[in-house]
Amino acid sequence: MNQSKKKMKLDRRHNLVGWAFLTPAVILIVIMSFIPMVKALLLSFQTGIGNKLKWAGTLNYVRMFQDTVFMQALKNNFVYLIIQVPIMLVFALVLASMLNNKNLRFKGLFRTAIFLPCATSLVSYAIIFRSLFAVDGFINMILIKLGILETGYNFLVNPTSARIVVILALIWRWTGYNMVFYLSGLQNIEYSVYEAAKIDGASVFQSFWRITVPLLKPTILLTAIMSTNGTLQLFDESVNLTKGGPANATLTMSHYIYNTSFKYVPNFGYSAAMSYLILILVAVLAFIQLKVGDKRD
Amino acid sequence: MKKVLAFLLTTVMVVSLAACGGSKASQSTSDEGNQEATTQDATTQEAGNTLTVWCWDPAFNIYAMQEAEKVYQKDHPDFKLNVVETPWADIQTKLTTAATSGDLSSLPDILLMQDNAFQKYVLSYPEAIADITSSGIDFKQFGEAKTAYSVVDGKNYGVPFDNGAVISCLRTDVLEQAGYTVEDFTDVTWTKYIEMGKDILAKTGKPLLSAQAGECDLIMIMLQSAGASLFDENGNPTIVNNDVLLKVMDVYKELVTSGVLIEVNDWDEYIGTLNSETVAGTINGCWILGSIQSAADQSGKWGITNMPSLEGVTGATNYSNNGGSSWLVTANGKNTQLATDFLNRTFAGSVPFYETILPSSGALATYLPAGESDVYAQPQEFFGGKAIYSQITEYAGKVPSNNTGVYYYEARDAVKAALVNIVAGADATTELKNAEDTVKFQMGQ
Repeated sequence: MNQSKKKMKLDRRHNLVGWAFLTPAVILIVIMSFIPMVKALLLSFQTGIGNKLKWAGTLNYVRMFQDTVFMQALKNNFVYLIIQVPIMLVFALVLASMLNNKNLRFKGLFRTAIFLPCATSLVSYAIIFRSLFAVDGFINMILIKLGILETGYNFLVNPTSARIVVILALIWRWTGYNMVFYLSGLQNIEYSVYEAAKIDGASVFQSFWRITVPLLKPTILLTAIMSTNGTLQLFDESVNLTKGGPANATLTMSHYIYNTSFKYVPNFGYSAAMSYLILILVAVLAFIQLKVGDKRD
Repeated sequence: MKKVLAFLLTTVMVVSLAACGGSKASQSTSDEGNQEATTQDATTQEAGNTLTVWCWDPAFNIYAMQEAEKVYQKDHPDFKLNVVETPWADIQTKLTTAATSGDLSSLPDILLMQDNAFQKYVLSYPEAIADITSSGIDFKQFGEAKTAYSVVDGKNYGVPFDNGAVISCLRTDVLEQAGYTVEDFTDVTWTKYIEMGKDILAKTGKPLLSAQAGECDLIMIMLQSAGASLFDENGNPTIVNNDVLLKVMDVYKELVTSGVLIEVNDWDEYIGTLNSETVAGTINGCWILGSIQSAADQSGKWGITNMPSLEGVTGATNYSNNGGSSWLVTANGKNTQLATDFLNRTFAGSVPFYETILPSSGALATYLPAGESDVYAQPQEFFGGKAIYSQITEYAGKVPSNNTGVYYYEARDAVKAALVNIVAGADATTELKNAEDTVKFQMGQ
């Protein structure tokens, strides 16, 4: 009896100490994140120029579906999502299993080299890609030297090639980041499993497809959700690499939200509503991916 | 268990997303503005003789402000100016933040405002901007078209500063090779300009112009040269059924297809085409002179004249305007009186002041009395010994006035998108119709 009382006291003390550690972080998150979130939600139901806001119900949410520029931006985001994310994840997975090879030399060097793009600033890499693909830039110079092109091709003026440049840039920037997740996931797979498969005569491709992919499924799911989330919020590349052009072909939703807040006549209610649409989209897509990806129970 | 964990992770990410999305909209409530306010309060309250100014170019407007401080200090020895170098993009976000939060104390006393954005801010945040109509500043002493940018409903909100009169700059040595002179390009039409441009391209391999692809500076320049704009006097968009705009699109397309104009991707590339002799000329606001002169080895090889005019358009002239900015006095109530008096005695009332800043910064005045000064009539080595500054001041007086409109940036972006498609071969009338629909939609809040 006495003993259990003592135990309860101890439990309680542990709990209190735990909460004490948590409180500062919780307070900060509430002030910096949750309150602005609620305020933004309220704001999304108002409309007006600058400070002169009035309640407008769901007007902003109806309005965005009639907005051709926003719809174009939404479409662009999904083009990036559908084309870029799968390519990048497959690429990352292949690189990760290659670098997981026990007999590979200079593993650390390769891993660092592939992860390094991720450590560069979003703005600077976007600007570097822009100058690489300029009319008199490095890529055109090589293409001309190799005799593939006669004069420089202006990649960023044609809608299709501009999108391809953005996708290339994204793959370059984020593949290493996802690869690191796969590499850490691969550490949990016993090497003996591969050895057993080898003895049974499995090819490299077979052991990749039958062992690596199924065992990495939770990690793949995680990276897929993160990439979806990141792609829908794409901003720096649109602003710095292509400026949303040509003819809005590479404009992203976040870039348009920025424009409606700071470049155009400020309409913060509408901007907040569009931000919430991105939230809803990410939540729905993540939910679908969870349903499709995880079939264990 | 793993499923629960995965779901938790998702929730965390979704929440962090919402925070990002939300913060964009509700930046007004962030603490950033307040913190700055307190630091700046401390400096301004210490001395009622100090003014804080935001502007962005050390070689140009910041330098001009510092010279103005010296001029004002002659009569007011205690006066001090605190010039904070603030990029234009930052001025916009900071102004928006301060105005939406309702705490104007974080604003400086004076800030520099791009003329094209003036109307937008006066309409969006009237409470943050001081009406200086009856402050004693004589606005009649500035070019009329220039002053119009900072006038809303007949009230003056800004003191005009730098000049954006458009000039056509030409490489005299390249023209000579092809058998032309700068005089051949004076008072011409675009048809004649393109014709000579083709000839020069054939003989020397150099295009006459370069421009940023998908930007519409040149479009806006051509529009204003005929007194037209994307809006009428009442602020309604006039993108469809705008004969001048259609004509302008025609000319631009012709420039691109004939090879007389080459398109580049960004500003640095554009300046590069001038400094590395890729092109034989350019047409832009006269502030471009600074960039041209940065290639010192090209001294004596440049000449300037007025721009080509549109053909078959009523009101077409050889003069236009691109860019330029004006000083705006904020309504934070701290030193409004001092700020207007300071501007009145320097930027709006001192010819010697403009004489000081012109030679070293090329800051051309929109203050008309300064144009008659001897300094403006001095020959410029770089431009073949011509007195280009008095020439430009004369152009500035002839620029037709137009209405930029509150929704200038919306209209500009819409026309930019249309321009890309038109140059690629789409039908101009349909594209401009789409552009107008977009602008109209964005105007209906």
